[in-house]
Amino acid sequence: MGLWPFGKKSSKEIAKKRLQLVLKYDRAGLPPNAIEEVKNAILNALKEFPFIDAAGVSINVSHDDSEKIEIEVPVKS
Amino acid sequence: MADKVICVTSGKGGVGKSTITGNLATALAAKGYKVVAIDADIGLRNLDLILGLENRIVYDIVHVAEGVCPVEKALVKDKRTKNLYLLPAAQTKDKSAIKPEDLVSIVEKLRDKFDFIFIDSPAGIEEGFKTAVTPADTILVVANPEMASIRDADRVTGLCEAMGKPEPKLIVNRLDPRKVAKGDMLDAEDVVQILGLELLGIVPEDKNMVSYINRGEPAVLFEESIAGKALRNVGERLLGKEVPFLNLEYNEGFFEKLKKLFGGE
Repeated sequence: MGLWPFGKKSSKEIAKKRLQLVLKYDRAGLPPNAIEEVKNAILNALKEFPFIDAAGVSINVSHDDSEKIEIEVPVKS
Repeated sequence: MADKVICVTSGKGGVGKSTITGNLATALAAKGYKVVAIDADIGLRNLDLILGLENRIVYDIVHVAEGVCPVEKALVKDKRTKNLYLLPAAQTKDKSAIKPEDLVSIVEKLRDKFDFIFIDSPAGIEEGFKTAVTPADTILVVANPEMASIRDADRVTGLCEAMGKPEPKLIVNRLDPRKVAKGDMLDAEDVVQILGLELLGIVPEDKNMVSYINRGEPAVLFEESIAGKALRNVGERLLGKEVPFLNLEYNEGFFEKLKKLFGGE
């Protein structure tokens, strides 16, 4: 694992990453750009609150019992 | 035995469903179990070729479903392996010629007469796939270690879940240890991690497979076939035995090591 000669990632690692991502969306039944759009909408809505650290907002799809979009909104310290 | 009816499916076509179905059925029949292999790929009949039985077919599964003949009459007795029978698909009809309830009723008629009933599912996720999966106690999903096949296997897994079926077990087919060693192919372990399914077998790429199929002789009947050996092991696992996975690690030759040392691929 790790780095392949000349710092290039092996195609196997790339395949694994791509599959893990695409299956997340497939399983959730979401189009691949849905998360980006949700994130942008939330960032827009949060703009007016100065105590929120917009750069730190993270968004994720999880697949436990049901599909969930989890959003973490950090507060500026 | 609860896991008597076993459906082999994959989503994507061409990953080796029929080859695996034919070989697993042969492997278990060769061990003395009474086995029937049902080709549910209506219109694209192929399991007969894997078993070398294409010249012996008189009736097919659609005749049975239409009531033209009883199921016993349509069964083709295998010429090599005792206790093995094929229920062939129709070649001229299409996938909608058999409904789920037709296959369920055929399987029910065979259930008491056989130890194992294999169903070779068509590719795809449409009606034909649903028909093939409906009577199954156990579902085996075949995936090659490549992107499209893995994605489709995941889709099929989701559909099985939605149908209230038990979680499929995974067979990774056509693994090339050399490509894995070069970093150009996903390892079985990666596929398991991505799909999150129980691994039932890893079948390595076997350059002789085409010639076994050319001759209509299942690879499991040949000691020297590595894929045949892997498939016999899958058969053992279906019987509930714990069999270690074959060591498929690729041993690099001297020149390959040297090449790597100098930064070649």
